[in-house]
Amino acid sequence: MSLALGVLPWLVSAWLFAVGLYGIVRSRHYVHLIACLAVCQSATYVLLLSIGFRWHAGPPIFYDHPPGSAAVDPVMQALVLTDIVVGAAVSALLLAIALQVHKRRGSVDPQSLRPLRPNR
Amino acid sequence: MSPGLRSLLLLLALALLAPFAWHVAKALPQFGSPTAAYGATVNALGPPLRHVSNMVAAVNFDFRALDTLGEESMLFCAVTGAVVLLRGTRGEGTNRRAGLIPGRAVLARSDAQVLLCRIACTLTMLFGLYMVLHGTVTPGGGFQGGVIIASAVLLLYLAEGYGPWRRLIRSPLLDVLESLGVLLFVGAGAAPLLSGHAAMSNLMPLGHFRDLFSGGVMLVTNFAVGLAVAAGFVMLLLEFLEETRALQSDSLPDEAQR
Amino acid sequence: MSAATSLPLAGLLPLVVLLPLGIAAALLAVSHWLPARFIELSALATSLSVAAACARLAQAGLTGPIVQWMGGWAPAASGRSGVVLGVSFAADPTSAALAAFAALLFALAFVFAWGEFDDTHGHFHVLMLLFLAALAGFCLTQDLFNLFVWFELMSVAAFALTAYPLGKSSLEGALNFTITNALGSFLMLAGIGLLYARTGTLDMATMGRMVMHLSGDPVVAAGFCMIAAALLTKGAIVPFHLWLSDAHTVAPAAVSVTFSGAMVSVALFGLAKLLAKVFLGNAQLAHLSQEFLAPLGIATAILGALMTWAQRHLKRLLAFSTISHMGVVVLAIATLRPAGLAGLLVYIIGHGLVKGALFMLAGMLLALRASGDEIILYRRGRGLGMAAPAMLLAALLFCNVPWGLLHRGEDLIAAADADATTRLVLSLATALTGAAILRAALRIFFGCSGVPGVERAAPSEPEHEKAQRPLWVMQLSCWILLGLAVLPGGSLVAFARAAAQQLLPGTLSAAALSGESSSIAALLFVVAVLAAALLRVRPVRPLMRAVARGEGRLFGALQGLHSGLVGDYVVWMLLGLAALIVCAQLLG
Repeated sequence: MSLALGVLPWLVSAWLFAVGLYGIVRSRHYVHLIACLAVCQSATYVLLLSIGFRWHAGPPIFYDHPPGSAAVDPVMQALVLTDIVVGAAVSALLLAIALQVHKRRGSVDPQSLRPLRPNR
Repeated sequence: MSPGLRSLLLLLALALLAPFAWHVAKALPQFGSPTAAYGATVNALGPPLRHVSNMVAAVNFDFRALDTLGEESMLFCAVTGAVVLLRGTRGEGTNRRAGLIPGRAVLARSDAQVLLCRIACTLTMLFGLYMVLHGTVTPGGGFQGGVIIASAVLLLYLAEGYGPWRRLIRSPLLDVLESLGVLLFVGAGAAPLLSGHAAMSNLMPLGHFRDLFSGGVMLVTNFAVGLAVAAGFVMLLLEFLEETRALQSDSLPDEAQR
Repeated sequence: MSAATSLPLAGLLPLVVLLPLGIAAALLAVSHWLPARFIELSALATSLSVAAACARLAQAGLTGPIVQWMGGWAPAASGRSGVVLGVSFAADPTSAALAAFAALLFALAFVFAWGEFDDTHGHFHVLMLLFLAALAGFCLTQDLFNLFVWFELMSVAAFALTAYPLGKSSLEGALNFTITNALGSFLMLAGIGLLYARTGTLDMATMGRMVMHLSGDPVVAAGFCMIAAALLTKGAIVPFHLWLSDAHTVAPAAVSVTFSGAMVSVALFGLAKLLAKVFLGNAQLAHLSQEFLAPLGIATAILGALMTWAQRHLKRLLAFSTISHMGVVVLAIATLRPAGLAGLLVYIIGHGLVKGALFMLAGMLLALRASGDEIILYRRGRGLGMAAPAMLLAALLFCNVPWGLLHRGEDLIAAADADATTRLVLSLATALTGAAILRAALRIFFGCSGVPGVERAAPSEPEHEKAQRPLWVMQLSCWILLGLAVLPGGSLVAFARAAAQQLLPGTLSAAALSGESSSIAALLFVVAVLAAALLRVRPVRPLMRAVARGEGRLFGALQGLHSGLVGDYVVWMLLGLAALIVCAQLLG
C-alpha cells in the first residue's frame, strides 16, 4: 500500500502525459489540440510539485509559522511558476495562430492542414 | 500516414515507454520524502539572510533572479508575438466600434451586470495590488498579482462596454508599461555591476522580517514583474477583443501581387 | 561612463544578456514615435556590441573560464558544502565563441532585412533581439534550469518569428513548429525535475560530480534521455527533425538565416556541453552517446541529403541541407573527444556562414523575382548582380572542396572519429546537398537544366517578400558571410583546439586526418549526379521508365513521411524517445 502511494504521483504524471499525447495525435480541432498540450503540461506540474513535497510539512511561507518549521521545497514551486508562465505564453501564441488559420483557411482541422501542398 | 496507422504507432511507442515509466517511478525517491538539499537550504537560509518570509519569492527574485528575468522576457516576447499575429491582418485602429455579425442580436448590458462588475472590478484590482505588494511576505507576488489585475481590467470591460473601455485602454500606453516592467528588472540587475558587485545582487536595505517593505531589491523586481505581467495580459485581452472588428485585406505573401 | 570602462571582465557576462533584453524593451516602448531607421540601427548596434563582448570573453577565456555568480550567490555563500544556491554564467571559450558567432549572424541578418519590416513598429527587431539574448544566455549559462529558461525564450521568439509573414503556410508551419518544440520543452523540464530529484542540485558542475557515481541509475538515465530528446528536437535530428522543413520554408529569409546558422547549431552545442560537463563521468550515458548518437547522425545526414535533392522550393531545399549537416554535428558530439568538439565549433561556424549566405540569396530571389521555386525561376536569375557567383561559391563549399572553414571542421571531426567509411559516407551526403544547390543555381542563373526529375513532385507554393529594398545591401551581407567562409581559418582552428581542451579532457592529436580521397570521391559524385540531372530527358524506353518510376516511388515515400501533419510528427518524436530510452536500458 505504501509502495503504491509512494509511486502514485509519478504514475499520475505519466498517465496525464500519455493522455495528452493521445489527444494531440488524434485531434480534429486545433483548439482541442492546444488544450491537450495544456494537459501534457499539467503532467510536468504534477511531477515537479510531487518531487518537492514532504509529508507533514507546511508551505514555504514563514509568516504564520516560525522560520525553521518543516516546509516543502520552494525551488520546485518556483520552477512550476516558470512552467505556468511558459504554458501561458505558448498557449497565447498558439491560439493567436489558430485564430488566423481559421480566418485564412476556414478550417482548423490538424489532420487536413499542411504547409506547402505537394505538386502532383 | 493514415489515422489508423498513426494511432497504432502511438500506442506502440507508449507501450514501449510504459515499463520504463514504471521502472523510473519505483527508482525515484518515495513521494513525500525528498532527498534534495537545495530546497531545505533555501528554507533555512532565506529568512536570516534576506529577511523575507515567502521563500518562493526569495527563490524567484533573489537566489534565481536571472530565471525570473528570462521568464518575464518570455511573456513579453509571447505578448509581442501574439500582437503581431493578431494585428497583422486587421491593422491598428482605435476608437472604432465593436464589430457586428449579421444575424446575431446585440444584447444591451443589464443593470445587474454593470453593477456587479463595477463592484467586482474595484475589489479585484485592489486585491491584485495587495498580492503584488505583499509578494515577499505572504503567498503571492508579481506574476500572480499581475494576472489578477488583468482580470480586473476584463471585468471593467464587462462593466463599461467596448467603447468607453477602448478609449481608456490604449495599446501605446500598454506597450510603455510592459517595457517599463522589463526595463526596471534589467536595470535592477545591471545596477550592481556599476559598483563592482555581481549582477542581480541585493544591495538595497533589507528591512525587517515579516515587514511589508522587506527583501531589498526583491521589492523592485517584484513590482516590475507585476507591471509587465499586468500590462502584457491586458494587451493580449485587447488584441483578442479587437478581433471582433472586421477583417481588412493586407499585403500577405500568398495573396495577389502588387 | 568611467565606472563602465573599469568593469572587470566578469561583468561583461550578464551584460551580454541584459543589453539585448533592455534594448528590446526600450525599442517596444518608443516604437510608436521613432522612425524605423532608428530602430534598425539600434538593433544592429546591439547585436554588434554583443558579438564584440562575446569575442572578448572568448579570447580572455582561453587562460581560464571567466565566471560570475548572479546575485553574488557563489557556492561559499551557502555555508554548506555541496549546496549551490545561485545561478552562474561562465565564459569558456567555446561557448563564448559560439555566442559571438550567433550575434554576428544576427547583425548581418539585420543588415539583410533593412527596409523589409518597416510597417510593424519595430516588432520584428524586438523579437529578434529577444531571440539573440536567449541564444547568448543559452551558451553561457552553467545552470540546468537557467538553460531551460533561455531555451524557452529562444523557442517562443522563434515561434513568433516563423508565423510573422502571416501567409497560410507560415501559420501552419508555425503551428507544427510550436507544437513539436513545446512537447520537447515539456520533456526537458520533466528531465530536469527527475535529475533534481536524484541529485538535489541544478548546477551543472555539482550535478556532474554527483552523476559520476550513478551509472545504471534509471532516474538519471531517463532524465538524460528526455533532455537529449528535447535538444535533438531543436537540433533537427532524425526522427525529431520533421518540423524544420516546414518552419524554414515559411519563415522570412532573414529569420531562416538565424534559425539554420545559430538556433539549430546552438541547441546541439548545448547537448555537447551537457555531455561534457555533466554526463561524461557517467559510464552508462557516455556509452549511450557513443553508441546511439553516431548512427543517428549518419542516418540524419543521409536522409537529409536525399530529401535535399528531391526539393524544388529553395528554402525547403536549404532546410533539408541543414538537417543533413546537423547529422555531421551529431557525429562530432558522439565522439566525446576534444578533437570532435573543436571540429564541432569550426564546422558550426563554417556551416552557419555558408547557409546564411544561401538563405540570403533565396531571400533576394523571393524579393526581386517574386518566387522561391527553382523550376519557376528557370532563367530568371539574370540581372541580379553578383548573386550567381555567390550561389555557385556557396554550393561548391558544400561540395567538399578542400578550402574554407567547413572543410577544416570536417577534417577535425574526422580526426576524432578516424573511420574512413564514415568519412566517405558523410562526404557523399553533404556533397549531395551541394549538388542540389548547384543544380538550382545552374537552373536559375544559367538556364542549364534537364527535364525536372523527382523535384517536380516536391511541395511548393507561390510566395514573395517585400521588394522595395536596396539590392546592394542584401548582396553586401551575403558577400560578407561568404568572404568569412572561404578564409583559411588557421587561427580559428588553433583557437578551437585550445578551447576544446578546456571543456573536454584528453589529448588532441597534432595533425588532422587528411581527407583527400573522400574529397575526390565527393567531387566525382557531384559531377556524376549533376550530369544525370542536367542531361536528363523524358524517359521513353521501358528500362528508363522503370528507373524513373522506382525513383519516384522512393522519393515519394520519403516525401510522404514529411507529410506536414502535426500528428505524424508527434508520433515520430515519441518513437525516437522510446528508441533512446530502450537503448539506454540495454546499454546500462
